[in-house]
Amino acid sequence: MNRRRLAIVTVLAIAVIAIAAIVYYFAGPQRRRVQTASESPIVGKAQVGQLAPEFVVSTTGGLFDLSKTTKPVFLEVFATWCPHCQREVAVVNRLYTGFRARVDFVAVSGSETAMDGTSTSSTADVLEWRRRFHVEYPVAYDPLLNVANLYLQGGFPTVAIIGRDKKVAYLNSGELPYQELSAAIEKVLR
Amino acid sequence: MEAAVFLVRVLLGALLLVAGALKVGHAAELAAALASYRLLPAAIVGPLALALPYVEILLGLYLIAGLFTRAIAIVSSVAFVCYAGAIGSAVVRHIAANCGCFGPNDSAVADWPHVAFDLALALASLFVAYGAPGALAVDRKLRSA
Repeated sequence: MNRRRLAIVTVLAIAVIAIAAIVYYFAGPQRRRVQTASESPIVGKAQVGQLAPEFVVSTTGGLFDLSKTTKPVFLEVFATWCPHCQREVAVVNRLYTGFRARVDFVAVSGSETAMDGTSTSSTADVLEWRRRFHVEYPVAYDPLLNVANLYLQGGFPTVAIIGRDKKVAYLNSGELPYQELSAAIEKVLR
Repeated sequence: MEAAVFLVRVLLGALLLVAGALKVGHAAELAAALASYRLLPAAIVGPLALALPYVEILLGLYLIAGLFTRAIAIVSSVAFVCYAGAIGSAVVRHIAANCGCFGPNDSAVADWPHVAFDLALALASLFVAYGAPGALAVDRKLRSA
């Protein structure tokens, strides 16, 4: 193979990688649109009593790796445009204040739609959501909706509480009351 | 000179090869790390996270083989400068960005030592570009053929 042919092969290889990545991102199997809080089509594989699917996200409080944490985990999958999620912030803030020393809290974005309901979500969108609704716990922007695809239960917000044994102890979606979540956390702390 | 270029070329290639290989299959984690820098729009972060590992592997293999050495070394140098710029900007903006340099098990946070390391790698790449192709390079065989 001469030098010119090798150069053509190289350029083609880079082009194939770029095109494959773009096609996979915009039309791949994991790319599922989530438009409304009550009609979310995603139902993740996470199940109560089963091992929690592993994930790693970069939060406002630093890197969060489920496999490396030794505490129980409170995970919320939210959408910035979702009014239920916006109202749920007050509940999760209260839980965070009470349990932050004994439980790791992480909230992960699960929609590609931003707060305005039309544009694409981004880190800036998630940070603006955090600022506007006074979110005190660590939040993460998940561009590939990896965590949503694993945990979402058909609606926003979805809350998963994971025990020290890494099993899902609680999994539910919607505007969940403080007492219910608090009791679920107390249960995994026993 | 030939031996030094060969040595630096292979070390750089091996580093890129390992860095790329550790990221393969972890696009979601890499996308989260890239997004944490708050520099790129979502429409770029996703495809970049999917493509970057394979591009790094390709660059690594070409450097090790010594194929199109000068061009690949310049591309590597630009890539390392971009990495240093992104990490430096995160440090300056006080963002606790995840480095994302060596896959999901690399929990290092973007900091000044990482900036210095990437700039050193950029300089090493320029050295390879200057002295290209170095000993034991496919480029030599292609020239003599």
